[in-house]
Amino acid sequence: MIRSRSLVTAATGLALGLSAPAMAASKTLGFVVPSWETATYETKYYDECPDGLAIGNDELWWKGLSQRDKDVLTNGGEMEPVDPPRRPMAVLRGPKKEDVCWNPEIVVDPPQRIVKGKFGYGMNLDGTTDGAATPKSCKHEKFVTPDGSTYVDNQMYRLVGCIYGWRKGNYVEAHADRERRDSSVGIILIEVTGVDDEQNDPEVEVSFHATRDVLYKDINGAILPYATFRVSETQHYGATAKGRIVDGKIVTDPADIRLPLYGHQMTGDMYIKDLRLDLPVQGPADDGPHLGMIAGYYDFDSWWDYTRRLESLLVTGQWSCPAMYVAAKQLADGYPDPETGECTAISTAMNIQVLPAFVVHPDRETADAGSAAQ
Amino acid sequence: MRLLNEAQFRRIIADVFGPDIIVGGRFDPLVRSGGLLAVGAGKTSITGSSLERFDILARSIAGQVVAPVRRDWLIPCKPADATMADPECARAYFKSTGRLLYRRALTSEELETQVQIAGDAATNLNDFYGGLSASLAAMLTAPEFLFIVDTTEPDPNNPGQVRLTAEAMASRLSFFLWNTTPDDTLLTAAERGELHTTDGLKRQADRMMTSARFETGIRAFFDDMLAFDSFDTFEKDGLIYPAFSLAAANDAREQTLRTLVDLLLVKNRDYREIFTSRETFVSGALGLVYRVPVADPESWSRYMFPPDDERVGIQSQASLVALRSHPGRSSATLRGKAVREILMCQKVPDPPPNVDFTLVSDSANPIYKTARQRLGAHSTEPSCAGCHKLMDPIGLTFETLDGGAQFRTLENGEPIDTSGELDGIKFADAAGLGQALYQNPAVPSCVLNRLYNYATGRESNLGERDWLIEQEKQFADSGYKIPALVRRIVLSDAMYAITPADTQLSGQPGTREENPS
Amino acid sequence: MSRNLPRRSALKGLVNGAAVSVALPFLDCFLNGNGTALAAGGPLPVRFGTWFWGLGFNPGRGVAPKTGKGIEFLEECQALVPYKDHINIFSNFNTPLDGKVTTVHFTGWVGCRTGSVPATGGDIPAPTIDVLIADEIAKSTRFRSLELSATGNPRDSYTARNTGSRNAAEVSPVAFYARVFGPEFADPNSATFTPDPQVMVRSSVLSAVSDERKKFVSTLGAADRARMDEYFTAIRQIEQRLALEMQKPPPLEACVRPSKPRENQLGTALEDVLVNHKIMSELLAMAVACNQTRVFNMLYSQALSTLHRRGEAFIHHTLTHEEPPDPELGYQIEVAWYNLRSFEALATFIEAFASIKEGDGTLLDNTIIYANSDTNYAKLHALDGIPVMTIGKGGGALNTGYHINGNGDPISRIGLTVQQAMGLQIQKWGSLSMETSKPVSEILA
Repeated sequence: MIRSRSLVTAATGLALGLSAPAMAASKTLGFVVPSWETATYETKYYDECPDGLAIGNDELWWKGLSQRDKDVLTNGGEMEPVDPPRRPMAVLRGPKKEDVCWNPEIVVDPPQRIVKGKFGYGMNLDGTTDGAATPKSCKHEKFVTPDGSTYVDNQMYRLVGCIYGWRKGNYVEAHADRERRDSSVGIILIEVTGVDDEQNDPEVEVSFHATRDVLYKDINGAILPYATFRVSETQHYGATAKGRIVDGKIVTDPADIRLPLYGHQMTGDMYIKDLRLDLPVQGPADDGPHLGMIAGYYDFDSWWDYTRRLESLLVTGQWSCPAMYVAAKQLADGYPDPETGECTAISTAMNIQVLPAFVVHPDRETADAGSAAQ
Repeated sequence: MRLLNEAQFRRIIADVFGPDIIVGGRFDPLVRSGGLLAVGAGKTSITGSSLERFDILARSIAGQVVAPVRRDWLIPCKPADATMADPECARAYFKSTGRLLYRRALTSEELETQVQIAGDAATNLNDFYGGLSASLAAMLTAPEFLFIVDTTEPDPNNPGQVRLTAEAMASRLSFFLWNTTPDDTLLTAAERGELHTTDGLKRQADRMMTSARFETGIRAFFDDMLAFDSFDTFEKDGLIYPAFSLAAANDAREQTLRTLVDLLLVKNRDYREIFTSRETFVSGALGLVYRVPVADPESWSRYMFPPDDERVGIQSQASLVALRSHPGRSSATLRGKAVREILMCQKVPDPPPNVDFTLVSDSANPIYKTARQRLGAHSTEPSCAGCHKLMDPIGLTFETLDGGAQFRTLENGEPIDTSGELDGIKFADAAGLGQALYQNPAVPSCVLNRLYNYATGRESNLGERDWLIEQEKQFADSGYKIPALVRRIVLSDAMYAITPADTQLSGQPGTREENPS
Repeated sequence: MSRNLPRRSALKGLVNGAAVSVALPFLDCFLNGNGTALAAGGPLPVRFGTWFWGLGFNPGRGVAPKTGKGIEFLEECQALVPYKDHINIFSNFNTPLDGKVTTVHFTGWVGCRTGSVPATGGDIPAPTIDVLIADEIAKSTRFRSLELSATGNPRDSYTARNTGSRNAAEVSPVAFYARVFGPEFADPNSATFTPDPQVMVRSSVLSAVSDERKKFVSTLGAADRARMDEYFTAIRQIEQRLALEMQKPPPLEACVRPSKPRENQLGTALEDVLVNHKIMSELLAMAVACNQTRVFNMLYSQALSTLHRRGEAFIHHTLTHEEPPDPELGYQIEVAWYNLRSFEALATFIEAFASIKEGDGTLLDNTIIYANSDTNYAKLHALDGIPVMTIGKGGGALNTGYHINGNGDPISRIGLTVQQAMGLQIQKWGSLSMETSKPVSEILA
């Protein structure tokens, strides 16, 4: 059983010191986020993708080859094009063999097939029920949660929900998640300070940090709770949002937050504007992960910078960079450019799994540890 | 005659040949006797399989010593021709290295044998270094190396009596204080006869106790006294105690040793405070077990448990509560037994044969939900009650720490009652047990006896009782300080007294080499 | 005591000459009053080898979860059923990364074979297990080790001392035959036998110090004297063993120079790989039976397996990521087909060793084969629970027929166990979280 005290450390400086003076009543809650994925709504028969799944780069490449090239590659039709050389070759289908992921506008592909269903998960970011343009958003279609209760914005789901490799359990997201859990790279910390009441507290602060410490696992590979993680020294991450606890759930006001991103051996940033958190304070009784959600407007440039580098997964994941780029630009629904009116961010929502953890700040605790060591 | 243990063997090799020599291999476990492996080492023989292992180890070490990368600085001379024997060079080598390995100067006959072996093997292999290696390997499997021998000589002050040779005294000192072979300074002092003088002995004892190696010696003692060799065969069920990983188990041993060194050596506190102190060290893996933050998860950090925490004293650390439990459940009996036997040096009788343990083991029993209830039912059996009364009232106090050393307040939904009793002192929780141990006279007496037996490698006998009682008094008067106690022991005559059983007369194997200095 | 070693002159003559025909009278002089021990001849050598296949198996389709004695192989490993009593299979041993990132299809096998996790792709942080074992047992054989790959690419070889020195594989059965069984082939059953000079030196050292040790005992008290009796018994055992080692080993009855294989197409088309793998397995087993080497490494498919059916674009590796699991069956059907082939190939390899008689048993009984993959569930490059097997009893050092659950312990425990079974005097192996001193004691005989 969990002792509530363990989950919580005194706000004024971690029980490292020899003396434990009477402390302010407010506490700090710490969490580590080892796992997340885009919140998607998927049906068994792909009802949400009435046009079918997105057309892959391979198919588009093959269609664009000359008969002569096809002859060479198949040894005059004797065999299928051999796999390994095909992969790097297929992405170079610009007019001068340019890489179409790095130059997505150099060819025009058929439009990418996207989600056309009614249901989706996420949060209501623009505050509308109809998706009409607001000063902070472009006109777009809303989803409604499957229980019919909330109109939500999740254009990222609309974009990737019909791509084979992005669907649940398939390579693009599942493998990146696996890599994070294996390597502990790209792990996010959430720190909630100023907690006076774990059920209802009108005012808390929620910070997001990166860490370089490793995840501890049990014998089945499940991540263990109550490990200590040091906040990375870099100030690059670590934004703070105002929040509150409502009926045992931590929720935050929107804040622009940059999070570390790692997957497929590539690092990048997730720069999400107006990010909000929704996370229960208590997890399940068996010490398993707490399930929560973050949602906000994913900055287009930060998203594309990472996504275009996934080109080695084009065949596995079956999408086309040019088609995806165009679709993403069209679906972007947040932060209109004041000049052009074109939106520069895409609404997104991610399911997160978190575990209680101790978040420590090496720079702040040195003094305490030092005095303890005297 | 005491067999070197693994830690000693490894340290000697590192001290004599350098820490980069790889000492692979498994060592046979030693036997525990009188509560100590150090005493068991005085009764252990070398079996066929263990000699075979020593032999392989010896050849591997000797091979590394003469390897081209090391030979120039480990061997004080170069042969005239590396493809041939060179008795002069071999003699110079074995004279210095042999003295460190046998912990005394070699007799001229011993020295010549090593030179001869090296020479013959060099001739046959056309390799001076191969010959030296073969001869060195022979020394490393010799009984004079593998056993710490209590060599005696006639005592000039007491005609007709014998005493330990100065070199044998040096070995006792060194293995006690440093857990390794005497260094050159100590051997030189021995060869000059200084150890047989009070001042000379003091000088060496003080030098050794201010050396950083003294910590190694004290760690080795507590590792032995607390029977931490149990960690070598220790298992926890990872499904029941997911946080208790292999790393946590290794760190649990280290945690207690660090705590002891810090309190007793660095801070020179009262020995009894190890049962009441909340100061300790935690690693990343232990942070998960104790569910506490760790300043540096990659290393060791100081940690102080808060005043209301159940974790007080080394007895509440995982090295007792998890180690003295079953793989999948806690054990009030094993924990109580450990406190009695390990911390208080009291013997708890083994259970009588044909006892039915079903009731105790069945933690899913719907009627007896807590360990206290199950043991209560079990102990109504008269043949069990007597012993369980010794153990359970201590062990049940730990029940809020489960078999994986994690805190709980309920067992099977029932609140855990942590009240207990130790020799008439009643207490409500683990902090109370710590206080009861602090006040119990058996506790300081236990560590004193163990230290003394550890130092001499044998159990004390009746004739030493008065001396030990006097030592107890001095231990108390000095505020139960361990370094001061160690110093009194090493400066006492008792430490070097001869018992008839393991007397060895010197002077037999030939005349000793002249003192080189 | 005479300072001259009694057998010195004999030794000199022997060791200084290269190959000397040893006559029986010489051996007599090494007898230690116990001629019977030698009558049986020297011990048969114990061999070590590795076998690699890429891409693991589908979860839940390789081996049943039941652990302990008695392995229950499932669909994908059916081919191994006839050999299950000669195999140990290990599940749920993990590869903790200590914060390093994975290099897919690389980190896994490096961890299994070196007990350390590479910092980057291509980095070999420590010698592979076969190199460590060869350092110890392969001093006297013609080849230190033999490396083979059935994929046609000499770089497909997972054995290295360090990043810079990877042992390249032989890829052509014909070339391999020429190298081992060509004109240089040394018939192990020829009449000439040269005892190892090191062994002779050790034997003479033991007798040189015996007088001194007797003198030592005479100074001891009665209790210690009794303890020294055991020491002397132990010394006699070593003397007897050395005497055995100086005797000509028993004839390798099964050693027959095989006939030269035919040229065959090399490459990663499965049809070619299977043929080449089978020929190589048989040639290799015979090379081992003829004592040409005691250490070998065979690779069936690469970690990033490019095996494919001739004329088909999809390779095994691609399929693991791209083939959707069958909605009804719940697994990847095409991948399963390739996995079946992997274990049929392993069965072929085992059979090559099991079919060679040696002493009272087979060559397999005197061998330990360490077979591993690079990943567990290849679809996601799972590093936890990479399948590893050991095959063969290593001359009685290993118990077999067990399915061992590692409970999340570091996978280096298996490598440590195998090295200890091969007689290496190591107590711990691996680095950082992979460092272990805990062998899998259930299988150590």
